[in-house]
Amino acid sequence: MERERLEFDVVFVGAGPAGLAGAIRLKQLAAERGREIEVCVIDKAPALGAHSLSGAVVDPRALAELLPDYRERGCPIEEEGLRDAVFYLTAAKALRLPWVPPFLHNEGAFVGSLSKLCAWLGAIAEEAGVNVFPGFAGVEALFDDAGGRVLGVRTGDKGVDKQGRRKGNFEPGVDLLAKVTVFAEGPRGSLLREAAKRLGLFDGRMPQVFETAVKEVIELPEASPFLTAPEAVIHTFGFPLGLHTKGGGFLYRMAERRVALGLVVGLDYADPMLEPYREFLRFKRHPLVAGLIAGGRVLQQGAKTLPVGGWYSMPRLCADGALVIGDSACTLNARRLKGVHTAMKSGMLAAETIAEALAAGDTGASALEGYRRRLEESWLGEELRQARNFSQALSRPPASRVVHLGAQMLSRGRGLVDPMPLHEDCSTLRPGVFREPAPVADLDGTLYLDKLTGVYLSGTRHEEDQPCHLHIPHPELCTTRCWQEYRSPCTRFCPGQVYEIETAEGGRPRLKLNPSNCLHCKTCEIKDPLRNILWNCPEGGGGPNWTIL
Amino acid sequence: MNIVVLVKQVPDTESLVQIAADGVSIRKDDVKWIMNPYDELAVEEALRIREAKGGGVTVVSCGGPKAQETLRTALAMGADKAVHIQDPAAEGADALGTARILAAALKAMPFDLILCGQRGVDEDNVQVGPAVAERLGIPHLSFVIKVELLDGRVRGHRVVEGGTVVVEAPLPALLTTQRGLNDPRYASLPGIMKAKKKPLEVKSLADLGVDPATVGAAGRKVVVRALKLPPARQAVRMIGGETPEAVAAELVRVLHEEAKLI
Ligand SMILES: Cc1cc2nc3c(=O)[nH]c(=O)nc-3n(C[C@H](O)[C@H](O)[C@H](O)COP(=O)(O)OP(=O)(O)OC[C@H]3O[C@@H](n4cnc5c(N)ncnc54)[C@H](O)[C@@H]3O)c2cc1C
Repeated sequence: MERERLEFDVVFVGAGPAGLAGAIRLKQLAAERGREIEVCVIDKAPALGAHSLSGAVVDPRALAELLPDYRERGCPIEEEGLRDAVFYLTAAKALRLPWVPPFLHNEGAFVGSLSKLCAWLGAIAEEAGVNVFPGFAGVEALFDDAGGRVLGVRTGDKGVDKQGRRKGNFEPGVDLLAKVTVFAEGPRGSLLREAAKRLGLFDGRMPQVFETAVKEVIELPEASPFLTAPEAVIHTFGFPLGLHTKGGGFLYRMAERRVALGLVVGLDYADPMLEPYREFLRFKRHPLVAGLIAGGRVLQQGAKTLPVGGWYSMPRLCADGALVIGDSACTLNARRLKGVHTAMKSGMLAAETIAEALAAGDTGASALEGYRRRLEESWLGEELRQARNFSQALSRPPASRVVHLGAQMLSRGRGLVDPMPLHEDCSTLRPGVFREPAPVADLDGTLYLDKLTGVYLSGTRHEEDQPCHLHIPHPELCTTRCWQEYRSPCTRFCPGQVYEIETAEGGRPRLKLNPSNCLHCKTCEIKDPLRNILWNCPEGGGGPNWTIL
Repeated sequence: MNIVVLVKQVPDTESLVQIAADGVSIRKDDVKWIMNPYDELAVEEALRIREAKGGGVTVVSCGGPKAQETLRTALAMGADKAVHIQDPAAEGADALGTARILAAALKAMPFDLILCGQRGVDEDNVQVGPAVAERLGIPHLSFVIKVELLDGRVRGHRVVEGGTVVVEAPLPALLTTQRGLNDPRYASLPGIMKAKKKPLEVKSLADLGVDPATVGAAGRKVVVRALKLPPARQAVRMIGGETPEAVAAELVRVLHEEAKLI
């Protein structure tokens, strides 16, 4: 099929903070140098910000560098002048830590909604002349004949039915050609997965490891004590995950009587029966949390993963004609629980490198290598180096964890073992221990929701008649080995009830997929112990419709 | 053939719809805005007619600054030009006020056929299309699921309860669309690029010669007293059973005894 080709200087795949900051920075540099740079940003989300979910306590450092007048330009800030509290939770009690570790101090930061921030940044990018296209998924990286140089990306076809046949409104994808293609897909990019294999970007690096979070924005009643509490930012650890599974909870106060609430679960957990969504409900039912949100109503819900491998997991950042930025490049600082400012900074440093390379007329890997150097020499490199063994330490048993973290704090991140090893999340489930956990009872549909009501409140919608975007190379394993050894953990780790095991005729178990429920968190691809799930982009414009997460 | 399509930007009814503090409007900031789905059908039909018969497609919308997004979407789908009636005095118009404004705009442009959605999914008035036709003194065919153009006439297939009615009118005429008319095309990426360069004219009420006192919030004949959200969805109940007969029997029992529907 002949596809239309559109040429740009630079194409960003992903309109998160990384891609948008990079695109805006490029336009600024073009204006400074009096040079035209044609920039395009695509995102699979139906609208800008609709697939953006974060906490978010935002460190404004990168934002202030990019847009010194960000306040005057109407940056959507929910709450500022933040004070923090950290609690250790037992099943019935909450013990407040007498001090907050320095890396969790948030005085200069603000609470924001990433959906709103991305919509705002996207409008600024458009004003600056960037071509921003929400509703278009990048489905294939384009290579030259030798296969070593990235030439651009292909967007997905639309109007294809379940069987792969063209419907009446078939619209072929287009080839977006660029001198530089920037992968800014966030955690576990599906394009990057394939391109990286070809380019060896992850070779010789530590594995990519993740945490997954369920998050809600809840509207509180006027009398809620949290609205007037001195601490607008609360972090918890301990219950419900215990001390052997890493992760923790957060509550961030927002404007308009709202609170952002979430539970983050390290995906290196061992118990195949663990269900992150259930833990999330248990977290909400803890007396401390339940008291703070009493009388509230959930406005929106969603789920997303965070790449926490950090410094040693970072892929090779450049190839001929391509760069990797943001969460796709593991720029998230797991120690500070922050990835927005680091993603933005990486995008801005990439932009500076690209502008230079374009001016010199060479966008090969060695010309783009300046990006890694810039990153290493900037505050971003310094921040990430200090956190380089943090996630690893959290995966250790409680006693040695404390020793490692203490040593890291005293040695600017080096600690006792440097580098500490990481293990792939798909390898950590222990087969054969099946304690069926009791379901969380009394869901009221207002403040405590079952998974499907949560999916409904995420606004998730996909064209129903399209090929399934979840590729399961060996479906027979689902009901044999995976069931026998792990009791089909996909039915639990997926927060959107995409995976169900039903009993088919003759009492045989059968996998049933509900791809339309997919929240695009990609936990399935990451955690599946048999590596039998590949997540690809569904038809562009499908998925969650978040506006305040 | 000059075809004009009337489009409106509406909140996606599945997004976060909340009643504003005044109790008579919805909060505008957290909702997602889309082209009224029935208007998408109208744009698609107009493009198909143009593809078959030649001519041009103009899209017209009356709305705030954001409504331009919807006009751009229509242009990206393939419409040729757009007219945006944007005036603070037009805000808060009821269906008849909106029709008055749109009719005034239409009087100033050539048209053989006007297409619009049967209703906006925001206020569900089902009035604007027919009222525009009345103001222009032209016939209108509503709820069409099939359109045929004959020599100087248009034939519309309308859905009625239990069947379809086939009606005809001389051109110029106005049609309102019903689901099933067509499958709207996607706005393609090159289409979106091209749409940025297509003409989009912005007009005020003064440009159209409309007296602001007769439209907008000032000219409302219908006043909204209160808005209420529909009752929360009930949980779905799956009816099980060993055999199809048992499932059917249980379903009948539930419908009869519990839901009291039959
Ligand atoms: C629950 C949670 C809480 C967090 N809390 C905080 C916090 O308090 N403070 C903080 O600073 N950070 C926080 N983070 C981290 C922060 O949100 C991320 O680090 C940051 O969003 C990364 O930005 P990004 O642009 O790299 O990726 P993303 O924000 O993930 O954006 C990637 C974009 O690319 C799009 N995309 C992906 N693949 C494709 C494709 N193939 N084609 C087209 N589009 C594609 C996606 O739709 C998405 O819009 C949190 C994250 C989570 C999940």
